[in-house]
Amino acid sequence: MLENAVIAIEALLDPVRLLALFAGMLVGMVFGMLPGLGGVAAVSILLPFVYYMDDYAGLAMLLGAVSVVYTSDTITSVLLGAPGSPASAPTAIEGHALAKQGHAAQALGVGFLASMVGGLVGAAILFVAIPVAGPIVLKLGTPELFMFALVGLFFASSMIGRDLAKGLAAACFGVLLGVVGPAQAAADFRFTFGQVYLLDGFSLTIVALGLFGVAEVISMLAKGGGISHERIKVTHWGEGFRDFWVNKFLVLRASIIGVFGGFVPAVGASASTWVAYGHAIRSTRDRSRFGRGEIRGVAASEGANNATVISDLVPTLLFSVPGGPAAAIFLGALFSFGYYPGPRMITQNPDLMFLIVWSVALTSVVGAALCFAATPFLARLTRIPFAIIAAPLVLIMVIGAYQSTGTMGDIFMLFTLGAVGWLMKHGGWPRAPALVGFVLSGPMEQYFWLTNQIHGWSWLGRPGVLIIGSVIVIPLLISAWRWLRRRQTAQAKTESDENKPAASESRPDMALVMAVIATLAFAYAAFETMSFNPASRLMPLLAIVPGLPLCLWLLVRGFREFDGFEFRTFKEPEILAVLIVYATAVWAIGLSVPTAALLVWMLFSRARMRWWTGAIYGVIVFALIRLLFETLRGDPPVGALVALS
Amino acid sequence: MKTTTALTAAMAIAVGFTVSAQAQDGYFAGKTIDVIVPFGAGGATFVSAKFLEPYFEKHLPGNPEINVIDRPGGGSILGANWFEQNAKSDGTTILFTTSSTANPFVLGQKGVEYRLADYRVAYSHPFSAVAYVSPSTGVTSAAEIKDASTPLIYGGIAAAASDLPGLLSFEVLDLDVKSVLGFNGRGPVRLAFEQGEVNLDYQFTPVYLTQVVASVDAGTAVPLWTGGSVDADGNLTARDPIAPELPSVYEVYTKLNGSDPSGIEWDAFQAIASVTYAYGLTGYMHPDTSQEVLDIFESTVAAINADPEFQAESQKVTNGARLNAGAATETAIKAALSPSDEVRSYLRTLLSDKYGVNF
Repeated sequence: MLENAVIAIEALLDPVRLLALFAGMLVGMVFGMLPGLGGVAAVSILLPFVYYMDDYAGLAMLLGAVSVVYTSDTITSVLLGAPGSPASAPTAIEGHALAKQGHAAQALGVGFLASMVGGLVGAAILFVAIPVAGPIVLKLGTPELFMFALVGLFFASSMIGRDLAKGLAAACFGVLLGVVGPAQAAADFRFTFGQVYLLDGFSLTIVALGLFGVAEVISMLAKGGGISHERIKVTHWGEGFRDFWVNKFLVLRASIIGVFGGFVPAVGASASTWVAYGHAIRSTRDRSRFGRGEIRGVAASEGANNATVISDLVPTLLFSVPGGPAAAIFLGALFSFGYYPGPRMITQNPDLMFLIVWSVALTSVVGAALCFAATPFLARLTRIPFAIIAAPLVLIMVIGAYQSTGTMGDIFMLFTLGAVGWLMKHGGWPRAPALVGFVLSGPMEQYFWLTNQIHGWSWLGRPGVLIIGSVIVIPLLISAWRWLRRRQTAQAKTESDENKPAASESRPDMALVMAVIATLAFAYAAFETMSFNPASRLMPLLAIVPGLPLCLWLLVRGFREFDGFEFRTFKEPEILAVLIVYATAVWAIGLSVPTAALLVWMLFSRARMRWWTGAIYGVIVFALIRLLFETLRGDPPVGALVALS
Repeated sequence: MKTTTALTAAMAIAVGFTVSAQAQDGYFAGKTIDVIVPFGAGGATFVSAKFLEPYFEKHLPGNPEINVIDRPGGGSILGANWFEQNAKSDGTTILFTTSSTANPFVLGQKGVEYRLADYRVAYSHPFSAVAYVSPSTGVTSAAEIKDASTPLIYGGIAAAASDLPGLLSFEVLDLDVKSVLGFNGRGPVRLAFEQGEVNLDYQFTPVYLTQVVASVDAGTAVPLWTGGSVDADGNLTARDPIAPELPSVYEVYTKLNGSDPSGIEWDAFQAIASVTYAYGLTGYMHPDTSQEVLDIFESTVAAINADPEFQAESQKVTNGARLNAGAATETAIKAALSPSDEVRSYLRTLLSDKYGVNF
């Protein structure tokens, strides 16, 4: 085995292959930073070039791209608050809050180091586990996968936050978003309103970008000025290194969570990141800083998503079952090179397995180092007026969303969900539980249904189920025991009054609007659910039964706290309206004219650039956006009323 | 995903290669053909399209550049609808797809805007499937399938999509099979088979040859039958040349019952199975495409089939399956896409009563 490892590293150190690996890594870094575009886009754009190379160089190029995405997305998440990829949404919450307080260097430093360690731990575990990885995956049947989803849900419960009603309602709302589209159990299409677009349900990228990215852009555009009012010091990395060292075991545990997340087909990075984030919350004594800039949140989620990269490839290589869309493209490339992944892969192509391990390990280290090097330059961006960055940022998010199906539906959904995310933000609804509910509702329903169909209820006694179940039961028992003991020692100390609720972006008028919308959504969902096959009703009801009463209660509360709309100092709705007008205009007259108009509005009206610098900058941005559209999708949206593109 | 030629050239040079421009005469000289795959990049259909891409570039007159473009969504309906609205009639837009696009059309499902039966057929590639069973059922060959010692559990994705011919074969053979639908894809089903959660499965040939054969050799899977292939009279009775050692569904029925299959179950199976297996991967063109273009594709397909490189490569992946094109192929596909009203209503009733599909 070691002999193969040596052969593999020698093969990889060939100059052309190293060049390919690093070329892939650079592309991956750029796409990781562009919100909404990630491993899938990077791999698709590299795919045509892979065929010019030999098999190892081509595969190294793809591996370089996929394994650095979760390192460089930290930059976008921390500096802009828009998740660079869906799996770094927790980093966007915690890291961006830190950046706004002037601690960007700390957040980035911990993020990069955790990313690097995550990638290395993933590679090391695979290195050791190659001979046993196959049997492990075979032990994970549908009941075990269902239990993994439950573990995710359990950890997600710690993200609910202080306002219990709003946190739970947000989680239910996320589950409701997740059940749109095909039911796993029976052939029902739920809540599609006759739209073919919704037949597949919502794309994770669009939900993550909408809920977090768009809302963040709107707020920062309205506020004016730069991203951080504090001067961001990125020259002092010391703080980041110290924080990383303090949290080294958390990063290690998060990486192991990430590795297991990758073994589960189709769950992968997005779910395991949330589980690791939930674990960070549960394992922290003082939880008050979560949601307002807690470095442990960054450490855990970056450790987890990077560790997932390589273990995502295990089901791909051993069983030809891709763990995600990027792995699917990688699988396609393997086929093209004449490798047919399967149970015999380890014995037939041991060198290839080790080539993967080495590629990921090497990229993790070099990628993190490059990110460190690039950050001081990127951090300067946070001092210039945000409107200047916002213009390309919004357009890149549009491109990212447009990768899902390449139809106008993607763009509409981005801004519709953006409006919802914005309302949630100002209505005091936490968005993390909504995203977790969305991510987990699909696998939970699918695996529960398959499990019950195949095993009846006998699956509850399977050893794997019991082991995974203990991850939930043991912490519950411990906290119950602690709670009992605290009660015996009497006089529960009042919770240290937690600073004040999150810098209060929450407004009573928006809380009421959100409550009205959510109540209507749940009420309609309850009505339509009645027409489904019984098996397809289960999951929507799981969201509606608690969700509807909670929303009604929030509605009552909303009316009580409501004291009229106040828009004099509140400029954000204008910006939201502009974005929605933009989406509609793209639908009506195609991409070019509305995009140019949006650029003019942002650069001259919002950012107040001088006309000639603004014009040059605007033309460059416009050209780059057109180029990205052409390169990635082949055809920018064409107007429905006026057939321009 | 399309990559502009300029960018390709720039990157290719950057990586140290040069693109040699071929200026040859021919119908497609200097043109670009878009092959629309209505599934995700990396899926079986996408990989097959990429597999065929270099051979078409080499043998089509004028050596056009071929772009394989993925347009996933709506279980392939979105991509096919896009084709309906945007396809050009000069042969430069091809919809390359499977029965997942054909079945919703045949069944008349909501959201289908494409007129598949009106399209011209440029070429087609068989995509046959092999049924296999776990030895834990006690079954050692197709003839014993009714004597399984444990209940048969079949894993699938959705009744109205690519699982339909498999489910119909169980109806033809009158098997008592519990169908567990709702898996993410055929890969996860195969994994569930190896885990012992399901014990009856169908896999398409490339996967069968590269994955399942290993299990057969190890004694953990027993191959049963194939969907069969079309004989000279257009019936699905012949053995599949891709796995000639295995009987077809037709043969298994005859052996079990002592008579030829007939009736509505058999008609429905024939219609659906021939679009799924015999003409599984088909390149469709705009209804107004000229006969000249179709003739060009027919002779190109003949040239590809004769190309020793293609023969060697396809031997590895599909046991040497060949492309089909021409009038006979088109007639057979169009017939399968327009079944009789009885077959259509039988399918709709079966799907809604037994599998809860809403139309």
